[in-house]
Amino acid sequence: MSTELTVASYKTDLKPIWCPGCGDYGALNPFYQAMLDCGLQPKDTVIVSGIGCSGRFPYFCNTYGFHGVHGRALPTAAGMKMASPHLNIFAVGGDGDGLGIGGGHIPHVARKNVDLVYLLLDNSIYGLTKGQSSPTSPLPMSSKTAPYGYIEDPLDPLAMYIAYNISFVARGFSGKPKQLRELFTQAIRHKGFSMVHVFSPCVTFNKQVTFKTFNELVKELPEDHDAGNRIKAMEYALDRSTLWTGVFYREERPTIHERVVDIQNRAGRFKDLNELLDDFR
Amino acid sequence: MAKKFMKGNDSIIVGALSAGCRAYYGYPITPASEIAHAAALHFPALGGTFIQAESEVAAINMCYGTAGMGIRVMTASSSPGVSLKQEGLSYAAGAELPLVIVNINRGGPGLGNIAPEQSDYFQATKGGGHGSYRLIVLAPNSAQEMCDLTMLAFDLADRYRNPAMVLADGFIGQMMEAVDVPQAKPVPYDHSSWCVRGDEATRRNVVSSIVLDPHHLEAHNLKLRDKYAACARDEVRCEEYRTEDADLIVVAYGIVSRIVYSTVDEARERGLKVGLLRPITLWPFPSARLAELAVGRAKAFLSVELNTGQMVEDVRLAVFGKRPVHFYGRCGGVVPGGDEIVAEYARLLKGGGHESH
Repeated sequence: MSTELTVASYKTDLKPIWCPGCGDYGALNPFYQAMLDCGLQPKDTVIVSGIGCSGRFPYFCNTYGFHGVHGRALPTAAGMKMASPHLNIFAVGGDGDGLGIGGGHIPHVARKNVDLVYLLLDNSIYGLTKGQSSPTSPLPMSSKTAPYGYIEDPLDPLAMYIAYNISFVARGFSGKPKQLRELFTQAIRHKGFSMVHVFSPCVTFNKQVTFKTFNELVKELPEDHDAGNRIKAMEYALDRSTLWTGVFYREERPTIHERVVDIQNRAGRFKDLNELLDDFR
Repeated sequence: MAKKFMKGNDSIIVGALSAGCRAYYGYPITPASEIAHAAALHFPALGGTFIQAESEVAAINMCYGTAGMGIRVMTASSSPGVSLKQEGLSYAAGAELPLVIVNINRGGPGLGNIAPEQSDYFQATKGGGHGSYRLIVLAPNSAQEMCDLTMLAFDLADRYRNPAMVLADGFIGQMMEAVDVPQAKPVPYDHSSWCVRGDEATRRNVVSSIVLDPHHLEAHNLKLRDKYAACARDEVRCEEYRTEDADLIVVAYGIVSRIVYSTVDEARERGLKVGLLRPITLWPFPSARLAELAVGRAKAFLSVELNTGQMVEDVRLAVFGKRPVHFYGRCGGVVPGGDEIVAEYARLLKGGGHESH
C-alpha cells in the first residue's frame, strides 16, 4: 500500500450506533489518531472485543475485527498474538465484560506479558442490557438489579492492575480526548501487556456516574510522577478524592512470545518430526 | 387473587415466589434480564436473597451451594449464558441437587441475536453438560404457564433431586398477557436426609459428584438411570387439539404451539385435517403418546420448530418409521405465520409430501 495513512484510513463507513453523547465516542476518535501516530497498518491490526456497547468498537475501525465471546476478548486476543506475533493486537471491552464475567483473565495475561493493548471502557453499568449494576458501580448506586441501591463494594481496577503487575498501566477519561490519544500512543509503543482504563460515561442508563462526576474528580498525574515506582503508582491508584489520569506504571520485561522463542531454541534439537519420533519415549 | 397483566419473564418470578423460592442468583442478558430485575425487586421484600453474580458460571455455582443446603434456589439466563452454566448443571445432576434454571432461548449459535428461537432444544433435552444425566425440561407457551410451570419445576426438582429447566423462547418471555396469580402453596419438602446445613441433623451428609471407584460410579449412574426412568414414566405432560381424527399431526411447543393452534380450525375449513400435539415436558418427551398416534389413523407427522430441526428427531424416534415425519422450521428470530404453516399442511397432505427442509 503506497497511499499515505490518514485518520480516515482507520474509519469504516459504518456510523457508530452508540447513543448520542456516549463516552465511547470520546475514546474512539483518539484511538484512530493514536493508530495513525504509531503508523499502524490497518492490514496488520486486529481489534478483538467481547460483548457490551464497547464491544462494537471493531465495527467502526477499518482493521481486522473479531467480535468474540462475552468476557473472553482478552484470551482470544492473547491467542492471536501468540499465533501471529507480527500483528498489532487490541482487545476492547467494558467493565462488565472485562472486570465481571471476564475479570479472571486479566492477571493471567499480565503474567504472560502478552504484547497487546487492552482498552477497558468503564461506565459503571451494564448498558447494552439496559442498566444493571457492574463491578465498578459505586455504593449505593441504584440500577435495575439494585432497585434498593447496590450492596457490593466496587472494585478498584487501577489498584488491581498494578497489583497484577501489568507492565503498562494507564488511565484516561473520554472527556479528555487529547490525553487519551497520548495514552493510547504510549500503550501501543510499549512492548508487553498495556492496560488503558478509560472512564467512559453512559449517558442513557447511568445517571449517577456521569461526565460531571469525572469533570469534577479527574486530574492529570504530576509531571514528575516516576512511572517506574510501583508503590507510588499504587498510592495514586488508591486515591479516591482525586481520580488521577496518565501513565501510572511502566516496566520493560520479556513478553510471552520472547519466552516461547527461548524455549523453542532450547528444545529444538530435532531437525524434523521423524527424528523426534525416533527419540520418542 | 385478581388477574394481572404482565410479561412472561415477570410471571416466572411470581411462580418462583409462590413456590417458596427465596434465593436467586443471576447475570444480565437480553432477553432474560427482566427475570433478574423482578427478582431484585421482589425477593428481598419477602426475606429472600437476590445477588447479581459476576458471571453466569458464578451464578450457577451459587445455586449449587444453596441447593446443597436444601434450599429452593433458581437462576435464569438466555442461550449463551445457559451454555456457560452447563458445567454446573452436570455437577448438580451428579450430586443430585434440586435447582431451577430458566432459559429464555434466543437466536444462536454463538452470539446470534436477541430474537426468539427454539434452538437450545438439544442442549436442554440431551444433556448439555458432560456425563449421563438428564434435565427435567418444561416448555411454557403463555405468560400463565411461565408462572405455573416454574412452580411445577420446583416441585419436580425436589421430587427427583435433579435440576429442572423452564425452557421458553424470547417471545414467551417478552410477551405480555393476563396471568391468574396463584395462591402461594409451597410444597414443604424435607431434604434433611441428604442436604448439608451445618446442623446436627445433616452433619453426616455429604454432597458431592465425585465417585472415584469405577464400580461405585457405575452404581451411581445406574441409580440415576432408574430415577430418570421413573420420571419418564410418571411426569410426561402434553396437550392435544383435534388429534383424534387428524390426517396430519403437528408437533409444536412454546410460541410455535400457539401459532399452530390458531391454524388447526382454519386448515380444517380448507379440508386439511390436522391436529396439534403440544409437549409440555420436553424431557421426558411424550414418546409413548406419539407412538400410539403413529399406529392410529394419522397419515403423517410434522414437527414445526424455531430451529433447523431438533425436536423432530425425538418425534421420529417415537414414530419409529411407522409414518412419515416431516419438519418445518424457521430460525434466526424469523417466526412463521399461520398462512405459511397452513401452506405446508396443504403441500404435505395434497402435494405428495416430499421431505421438507
